[in-house]
Amino acid sequence: MYKIIIFLVTMLMAFPVYALDGTALLKQVDRNLNPESYEMYRKLINVEPDGKKKEFTLFSVKKGQDKVAALFLAPASEKGRSTLRLGDNMWLYIPNVGKPIRITSLQSVVGGVFNNADILNLDYAVEYDVAKVEETGKEYLLHLKAKNKNVAYDQLKMWADKGKKLPTKIECLTAANMLIKTLYFKDHKDFGGGIVRPAVIETDSPLYKGYKSVMIYAKIKKRSFKDEVFTLTYMPNLESLR
Amino acid sequence: MPTRLCGKPILPIAILFLILFFPAAVFAEESYTFDAGEIEKKPYHFGGYVELRPVMYVLDKDSALYQLQYYQDPRSTLMEWNGRFQLEGSYEKGIGRVFVKTNTDLRYSTFANGSERTAIFDGYGTLKPSPSWKFEAGKKTLKWGKGYAWNPVNFIDRPKDPYDPDLPIEGYIMATMDYIRSFEGPLKTFSFTPVLIPVYDHINDDYGVNNRLNAAGKIYLLLYDTDLDFIFAADGSRTTRMGMDFSRNITTSFEIHGELAYIRDYQQPFLDSAGVLQSRTQDVVSGLAGIRHLTTFDLTTILEYYHNGMGYSADDMKYYYNYIRQGYNRYNSTGNAQMLNAAQNLATGGYGRLSPMDDYLQLRLSQKEPFDILYFTPAVTVMFNLDDQSYNITPELLYTGITNLELRLRAGFIRGSRDTEFGEKANDYRFEFRAGYYF
Repeated sequence: MYKIIIFLVTMLMAFPVYALDGTALLKQVDRNLNPESYEMYRKLINVEPDGKKKEFTLFSVKKGQDKVAALFLAPASEKGRSTLRLGDNMWLYIPNVGKPIRITSLQSVVGGVFNNADILNLDYAVEYDVAKVEETGKEYLLHLKAKNKNVAYDQLKMWADKGKKLPTKIECLTAANMLIKTLYFKDHKDFGGGIVRPAVIETDSPLYKGYKSVMIYAKIKKRSFKDEVFTLTYMPNLESLR
Repeated sequence: MPTRLCGKPILPIAILFLILFFPAAVFAEESYTFDAGEIEKKPYHFGGYVELRPVMYVLDKDSALYQLQYYQDPRSTLMEWNGRFQLEGSYEKGIGRVFVKTNTDLRYSTFANGSERTAIFDGYGTLKPSPSWKFEAGKKTLKWGKGYAWNPVNFIDRPKDPYDPDLPIEGYIMATMDYIRSFEGPLKTFSFTPVLIPVYDHINDDYGVNNRLNAAGKIYLLLYDTDLDFIFAADGSRTTRMGMDFSRNITTSFEIHGELAYIRDYQQPFLDSAGVLQSRTQDVVSGLAGIRHLTTFDLTTILEYYHNGMGYSADDMKYYYNYIRQGYNRYNSTGNAQMLNAAQNLATGGYGRLSPMDDYLQLRLSQKEPFDILYFTPAVTVMFNLDDQSYNITPELLYTGITNLELRLRAGFIRGSRDTEFGEKANDYRFEFRAGYYF
């Protein structure tokens, strides 16, 4: 009888370990990728099938769950352009045009495989629900479903390292299960301030055969901003935050 | 042991073959670098843009505007060489920043020989004590409005070119302030931008009536995910103007926008049916309604309807074209160009505006990166005059694949019967190549 009680208690205590909380896991992945509010420097490289490259350097800032802005630092033809995202709203400011225009998440301000949703990405847990979690050896496989139709990809399949709780690969799919692109997370790096995450994200797409795009992270730092930074009126002034 | 073919190792040959014909495969193993120097912020910045733009016009010898422009030097084609050189620099320290942008336009044609114009397009100082407050003074543009081709609520700036709306324009000297507040809830952003524009001798003297200090302003709201602007320009060098605009995404890929402007006591010179110059003063309303749509295969459609309350009717334009023809006939018979000179003056007074009439429709279709050709965007723009059913079709090819270089090939096909806006343009066709380099 004593043994049966110990067995039951052990089983009851062990059960929560195996019932994975997908939402908590996704939130943990989000926090391991970035602080909730941060400043960041990135380089985007589009690589054509013949090896020709085009590079863009961006300074990005994020606050809370739904406020992101990015400023192009290079090349000279793009310098001063900025993009702003407030929830589902996105704008592009071009210095010559002189006023922000609305853009969509599926467009790409840089061309190539990365679109605006990839560049101005929010936390995954903000845009996606966890439909299912599987365990595949050293990785979790999270099946994510978009919370609404405004999200760029209807479904994501995210492979995450069990120990580090960081993504290794994400497949972006349509509602009809068609693969739009695959993101590969590489080269873990210590950015300081407790941020250890992949420094390179590569992407390819069956829609752009032979092309690929790469995002390299140079600096990520926790930082807080006033809400007014994330407004249309402030878009021409993002440089002053650097 | 490597595989051998005819006594030669295959592996090195295969690697050489791969390097020569599949450089991307080699690149796949390349490690990426990102130097800290690339993101280091300097207090100063210098940059610029240089452009070469040859244009060939195939002229319409029977059109009124041809007769007005080329009556002394008839020709069937015109070759024009345009150059543009822009320099910009800024210096930032603490909460202060100064910015200057100069523009030099060069033009040479077989008709008008060479010309050069240099101007400071922007030159202003900024003080930004906090993200909520910004003060600026100097020469700058405001670019108010949401329309792509036209902005009836842009009461202050010089008019933009609806056929090339992204071109930079010269600013006016002014003082402005921005106050921004953010909120939680349906109203996410509020901002207020008051503006003062002085008009005195040698200061903004082409803006309007001299010796006035003009006040204007804009209130911006992001309310229920809709951009809303309320704009005013008080009576001064120009008559009182009020307006509003909006922009909103209906879906992620479908945007609607609009503008409405009310202008009091607008004074318009016009020619009556007898060719006598008259003037009428009236309150006018201008408006714009537009959509922007993006398909899953990256085709962007922009459709805009524009009502120009300050425009001329089809009859007004007909009387103007008749006046030019009479002047042309008189010049040919007597050598007297007085009427043609008067018609030239009327062109600068309103008849020669880029959209001089009442109602227009513009449709622009642009396909991003078709056939997987990165950075390549073919587009076609149709400008349709709803008053006289004349139109202009502009196909273009844009390539931006080489860093900092932008190449654009464009044509213009202009169609319309006699006495219509596009039928009376000086040219039937135009072909243009633009190469622009940023540095």
